[in-house]
Amino acid sequence: MKGDGQLIEAELKKKLGGFSLDANISDEHFICLTGKNGSGKTTLLNLIGGILTPDEGHVTLNSKRITNLLVEQRQVSIVTPESCIPHLGVDRHLVWGAKNKGLNIEHDYVREIKKSLGIGFDGRVSKLSLGMRERVALATSLIAKPELILIDEALSNIDNHTDFIGAFKNLASKAKIDVIFTTQHLEDSSQADHHYRLESGNSTRLF
Amino acid sequence: MKKLNWLKLISGLSLALLVIPVFLLLYEGFGPLRDPIGYGYDVLRSVELTLISSAIAAVLSVALFTPLAYYFARNKNSIGETLSDIPASIPHPIVGVAILVIASPLTPFGKFLLSIGINFFDSVLGLIIALTIVSAPIYIKSMQPFFQSMNIAYENYALGLGASKFRTFVSVVLPNSGRGILSASLISMSRAMSEFGSIAIVAYYVLQQPFYGVNPAPVLIFQYYAYYGLGAAVTASAVMILVSIAMMVILRLVKR
Repeated sequence: MKGDGQLIEAELKKKLGGFSLDANISDEHFICLTGKNGSGKTTLLNLIGGILTPDEGHVTLNSKRITNLLVEQRQVSIVTPESCIPHLGVDRHLVWGAKNKGLNIEHDYVREIKKSLGIGFDGRVSKLSLGMRERVALATSLIAKPELILIDEALSNIDNHTDFIGAFKNLASKAKIDVIFTTQHLEDSSQADHHYRLESGNSTRLF
Repeated sequence: MKKLNWLKLISGLSLALLVIPVFLLLYEGFGPLRDPIGYGYDVLRSVELTLISSAIAAVLSVALFTPLAYYFARNKNSIGETLSDIPASIPHPIVGVAILVIASPLTPFGKFLLSIGINFFDSVLGLIIALTIVSAPIYIKSMQPFFQSMNIAYENYALGLGASKFRTFVSVVLPNSGRGILSASLISMSRAMSEFGSIAIVAYYVLQQPFYGVNPAPVLIFQYYAYYGLGAAVTASAVMILVSIAMMVILRLVKR
């Protein structure tokens, strides 16, 4: 049953070359993941999103085990700085995921998201600046209403990203979508409900 | 004194080895060895047949082999890749013989084709099939690095939004591959235009309208050499070189 948010439980182990990840996350709502380059943040998100397969462990989303599901079956949207459907215009892009899932497009909701996330521009997505593209990609994910959005460093190129994170958190909370986001800016964690730090592939829950 | 750039010198010599015979042929074909037979009606019809059949073969390669090139780009499959190279790496007359055997009354498939009136021998269809088989590996080899260089983040994002792999391929990968497909299909078409081995067996000439009695250009050049001697063959070759150069120019413009 869907509550205020999804309970994410991930206990994952993965060896990639000389790097070894052994991480646990068990929380809900808006979760921040920090750590230095190479600490395993992207690997962990890729394991949760299904892009990588764990050597050991499991991922559970709202009591539903998704470890062996394909990326497209997980209800988990992955957003990186390069995530987009490049040839689409902004408005078509925003509803692409929702249409794909056969959801009814609520135009008021789309307008609200555009306003809240500062999407007052148009044009082909591939021609937009990185920050604008990230806004569109994140908004598209929200409109597609997945159960979980994984944001891998896709907030840092956005102007006034502190305000943006606040707005995004509100929208995600209203839509009952949980979020895990990685960031290099430690101060971003103050907006999160929970904060995990990764160090050399090992996770620590800070709050 | 300026230091000699050995690499540049060796590269220049290597390039000369490749282009001198071509330019020599152009010079001789339109100069001392010029023979009006070499740019007569038959040659122009033959070039027309070659261009049309090679273009159709390129379109077929795009339609049939783009998904395979994408699959190879995203999944390591050395056995499949080696198998897909076979038509390009075996002597091409073998491809011609194979097509004839497959479409002959010796095989159930051939019997079936003949029973419904489909004949590969000396037909435009046979010509196009032979050209597709020998040029498709070149198309696959050109598209594979293109797909590998395409940012996989687009596909992961689409999959995360619930799109199936097929929908991701059709709605995300293909619309962003236009330039790569055009470039690879022109390379494949160029390869098809230069094919001789297989088509000399399958379609030495075509016995169908509107190309009744027309030879594909590489076969015609060989035939002119055998019947008329060097002059007509060299002039016809020079005409074909001009067509190929035009193709190369278009390819360069597309790649820019």
